Amino acid sequence: MTAIAPTVSGAFETGRSDSVIRRLLRRPAAAISAAVVAILLIATLAAPLVAPYSPTDLDYTHLFAPPSWSHPFGTDELGRDLVTRILYGGRTSIVMGVAATALAMLLGVTWGFTAALRQGWTDEMLMRLADMLMAMPVILIALVLVAAFGSSTPSMIIILGLLFSPATARIARSSLLGELRTDYYLSAVSVGATGRRILARELLPNTLPVLIARATIVLAEVIFVEASLSFVGLGVQPPSTSWGTLLQQGYANLYSSYWYPIFPGLVILVAVLALNTLGDNLQQVLDPSRT
Amino acid sequence: MFKYVIRRVITSVALLILGSMLVFLLMRIIPGDPTITKLGGSIKDVDAQTVESIRSELGLDKSIPQQYLDWVSGILRGDFGASYFSQFSVTSLIEQRYGATLLLAFMAMVIGTLIAVPASVAGAIWQNRILGGVLSGFAAVGIAIPTFVIGIMLIIALGAELGLLPTQGYVSFRRDPFGSIESTLLPALTLGIGVAAATMRILRPSLVDVEHAPFVRTAKGKGLVRRQVVVRHELPNASIPAITAAGIIMAHLVGGAVIVEYVFARPGLGSLLVDSVYQRDYGVLQTLVLLAVAVFIVTSLVADIVLGFVDPRLRTQAVT
Repeated sequence: MTAIAPTVSGAFETGRSDSVIRRLLRRPAAAISAAVVAILLIATLAAPLVAPYSPTDLDYTHLFAPPSWSHPFGTDELGRDLVTRILYGGRTSIVMGVAATALAMLLGVTWGFTAALRQGWTDEMLMRLADMLMAMPVILIALVLVAAFGSSTPSMIIILGLLFSPATARIARSSLLGELRTDYYLSAVSVGATGRRILARELLPNTLPVLIARATIVLAEVIFVEASLSFVGLGVQPPSTSWGTLLQQGYANLYSSYWYPIFPGLVILVAVLALNTLGDNLQQVLDPSRT
Repeated sequence: MFKYVIRRVITSVALLILGSMLVFLLMRIIPGDPTITKLGGSIKDVDAQTVESIRSELGLDKSIPQQYLDWVSGILRGDFGASYFSQFSVTSLIEQRYGATLLLAFMAMVIGTLIAVPASVAGAIWQNRILGGVLSGFAAVGIAIPTFVIGIMLIIALGAELGLLPTQGYVSFRRDPFGSIESTLLPALTLGIGVAAATMRILRPSLVDVEHAPFVRTAKGKGLVRRQVVVRHELPNASIPAITAAGIIMAHLVGGAVIVEYVFARPGLGSLLVDSVYQRDYGVLQTLVLLAVAVFIVTSLVADIVLGFVDPRLRTQAVT
C-alpha cells in the first residue's frame, strides 16, 4: 500500500513543488518535525510577544528554581526565567544559523555549479579540494578559524558558512550533473537559449528541491556546531545569549541546579533532530532511489 | 595483495604530504603574529631587536618554503617545534596529554561497537516493527544529540546523583590502570553513544541490502536458522560499508573528543586544542590539526587494507 502510493502520485504529478510538500507531509515523522521547526521559528523570532517574562527580569527570591507553573523550565543564577532566556537565546542561534546556512549555500552552490559546468580539470581540482576539507573534523577547523578570526557574530557566520560549503558543493555538483543529462536541458540548448538564462530559468529551479533539503540539514549542523563552540566558550560571547552559552552557564552551575543545563540541552537536541528528520525525509521524497 | 597494499600506502603518504602543506599554509594565511603571542600582547613597548630575536628563534625570518621544510624535517625527528605560548615544546605538551585521549578514543570505539553490532544484528534477526522503530529512533537521536548534552545527563544521573563514577579529571594509566579506566568510563560512554549511532546508520541499511543476495538465499536454503544466517553470512558482508566508513567515524570521534574532554575536564589533546585556541598558540594548533589529519588518513588506510583481506574482489581492481 504505502509502497505504491508515491509512485502513483508521482506519475500524475504536474506541479512539482506542490506535490513534494504534500508527499512530505503525508509522512508522520516529517509532518511532526515540520511542525516542531515552525513552532521553534515562530516562538523564538516572536520572543518579545511570546515570552512570559523579560530576559532581564531578575528575581533574587527565586535563584535556581526548579520547574514550576510560573517558571516551566526553572530559573537561572540571577532568578531569570529560563523559558524566556531560551526563547531570546534561540534568536541568536537561529538568526546566526540561517545567515551561515545562506552563506554556505551561496558558496557551495557556486563552487559545485562551477565544477559541474566547467568539468575536466577545474572540476577535478575543485572536488579534490572539497574532499580534503571534508576529511577534517568540523569542530577542528571551526576552532582554528575561531582562533584566526575571533568569535564576533559576523565572523561566526563567516566561519560556519565556510565550514559547510564543501559538502554543499558536492551535493550541488551532483544534482546539477543530473540535470545536465535531461532532455529539457538539451532542448533549451537547442532552441538557442543563453547560458545564463538556462541556468536561472531551467537548471536552478529544478535543482532547488535538492538544495532546500541540503539547506535544512546544514541549518541543523550549524546550530549544533555553534552550540558546541559556545559551550567551550569559543563561540557566542556573553552578554550575548545563544542556546550554546545558556548550556555553558547551566553546566557551570550544574551542582546548584540540575535543571539549568538540561533544558537548553533538550531544546538544542529537539531543534537539531527536527531539522535533520525534515531534511532526511525531504531527500527521500525527492529521490526515492537513494534510500 | 602486496601490490594493493603498496599502492594504498603510497597514496596515503602523498595525501599526508599534501595535507601537511595545506595545514601549514592555512596557519600562515590566517591573521595574527606569533611574536605578539610570545610577547604576551603588545608589540609597541618592545624594541625592534627583541622582536627580531624572537622571530629568528621561532624561525619566522626564513622563507615560507624553508619554514615548511624545517617543520616537516623536525616532525620526522619527533620534534614538533616550539609552542608560541608556553615554555614547553609542542612535543612535550603532546606527550603529557595524548594518553587521556588515546584511552578515551579506544574505549569509546569499543563501547560504540559493542552497542552498534549486537543491536543491528538483533534488528536483522527479529524483524519486527517495534524493535526496528526503537533502533532507528536510537540512531536518529544518537546522531542529533550533541555530545555535551549526553555528557551532562550522564554526569547528573550516574555521577552527581548516584555517585557511581568519577565525573571529572583523569588518572594516568601507567600509575593506576584500574582508576584510569574508571575515570574514562563516563566520557567513553558519552562518546560511544555517538559512535554507535553513526555505525548503526551505516550497518543497518547494508544488512537490509544483503538480505536479498543469492548467498543469503543459499544459506537459508541449506537450512540454517535465522541467527546463523545473519551472524555468519549477512554480517560479514554488511560490515564492508561500515569498515569503509571507519575514517568518517574516526573524524566524528576526534570532533566529539574535543567536547567530551571539556565536559569531563580531561587533560587530553582535545582540551589542549581548546586551550591553544584561547592562547592563539599556532605552534600547538598546527601540530594538532596535522595529527588529526594523519589519524584520519591512517585510519582510512588501515580500513582499506582490512577490506582487502575481507573482500578479495578489491585486491584485483584498480582501487586508489
